Amino acid sequence: VAVGDAVPRQVVDHYENPRNVGSLDRNAKNVGTGLVGAPACGDVMKLQVEVDENGRIVDARFKTFGCGSAIASSSLATEWVKGKTVDEALKIKNTDIAKELCLPPVKLHCSMLAEDAIKAALADYKLKQDPNKEESEKKA
Amino acid sequence: PQDPRVLDSMLPYLTAYYGNPHSRTHAYGWESEAAMEKARQQVADLIGADSREIIFTSGATESNNMAIKGVARFYKSRKKHIITTQTEHKCVLDSCRSLETEGFRVTYLPVKKNGLIDLKELEAAFQPDTSLVSVMTVNNEIGVKQPVHDIGEICRVHKVFFHTDAAQAIGKIPMDVNDMKIDLMSISGHKIYGPKGVGAIYVRRRPRVRLEPLQSGGGQERGLRSGTVPTPLAVGLGAACEVAQQEMEYDHKRISQLAERLVTKIMSEVPDVVMNGDREHRYPGCINLSFAYVEGESLLMALKDVALSSGSACTSASLEPSYVLRAIGTDEDLAHSSIRFGIGRFTTEEEVDYTVQKCIQHVKRLREMSPLWEMVQDGIDLKSIKWTQH
Repeated sequence: VAVGDAVPRQVVDHYENPRNVGSLDRNAKNVGTGLVGAPACGDVMKLQVEVDENGRIVDARFKTFGCGSAIASSSLATEWVKGKTVDEALKIKNTDIAKELCLPPVKLHCSMLAEDAIKAALADYKLKQDPNKEESEKKA
Repeated sequence: PQDPRVLDSMLPYLTAYYGNPHSRTHAYGWESEAAMEKARQQVADLIGADSREIIFTSGATESNNMAIKGVARFYKSRKKHIITTQTEHKCVLDSCRSLETEGFRVTYLPVKKNGLIDLKELEAAFQPDTSLVSVMTVNNEIGVKQPVHDIGEICRVHKVFFHTDAAQAIGKIPMDVNDMKIDLMSISGHKIYGPKGVGAIYVRRRPRVRLEPLQSGGGQERGLRSGTVPTPLAVGLGAACEVAQQEMEYDHKRISQLAERLVTKIMSEVPDVVMNGDREHRYPGCINLSFAYVEGESLLMALKDVALSSGSACTSASLEPSYVLRAIGTDEDLAHSSIRFGIGRFTTEEEVDYTVQKCIQHVKRLREMSPLWEMVQDGIDLKSIKWTQH
């Protein structure tokens, strides 16, 4: 069983006391939703951010189908994005998440998926702010 | 766990009676030899065999290796084909794979959705140079019971040897090598409340099954398996077999009740739970359930004080989900959501109730945390979503 010789304490903590489980209104203009992973892979993360008029993330929620490390990675991600601007949040790296949770090598992909989830949520938010700009940028 | 009666039988041979059972010339040896032969008879009695047909090994893995590689190699000048199934234990599949690199051909029979092989497909798989058919009696992941009676018949008709890995079946369901026309059988000590590190292989004498030994040496165990037989472990295996024979009927009834209790309670409280493997043709003590929209390892974390396992990729070193579940056609996401519950001689009703209660509580909690559950509640068909590649 590759749960590790002992599951890292931080992972257990996030598992037993997850932060920010839930959903925000995906139809609200200032909410970005990222859905990454696939059920066939055993890992699906939904991460949502609520951004204020100054571009600062004021709230975040997550839901995850995945192992303890996946749950912990996405839970930590929601903690870290809160209070950051969109650009600051984009700088969060999977290696930081993995280090904070002491993830063993076999679980590193969970932290990578969490980084993807953050980026997907922020990309969705950006798209909602200026869909026309995205369209013309794509055409160019 | 080891049955205390087994431990009792072993202790003298771990302390005072330390003679080498192959030493012919002194009383220490004779004592040990007598104990070893008594154990051999106990194993034989459990399966309706003659004690001369029982060889002690280090476990079912070694027995499986011996059966498959040993038979294949002995008859290799005339026979180069083996038939097995896709749901066998890793040691069987790996032995076959290793034989393929030696130039043998192997047919890995698929199984039906219920985990059982299709007898017609077995018939069709025979070739003029088939030397062996290997099909496990009870599967270790999903508990299904193959129709060994019928398989034995078919193999006799085709004059091909029939080997069965009976590690999960021995001592739990009645087995008779003559009734079932079995030619080789693998037996595991620790699967029947005996010690780890010992097992046995049954090798039929009439008609004679020949095999090339894996281990060379002093010619112990009729030349088929050299090496000093570990007397205390063999004694333990023998005692475990004798106890199993006595307790089989009572154990089976009790375990069936507990299994029924577990499954019924869980399924009545929690929707979208699937049992993997045939409902009828199974050993009740091995139950494999998939809890849709909840990943297996995350559920196991909540149940860490219970010895359970999962077919989820996260719990395997290779990050691949269970090949047994894949063989029965389980959707990949349900394979990641599977938990195997094992109920045995020493499982109590309290333990079952505790496990059930914790399981229900955490499945509900994890579903609240699951984006898949949320989408399904909103009426979304998960199969219609384009998931991201990762």
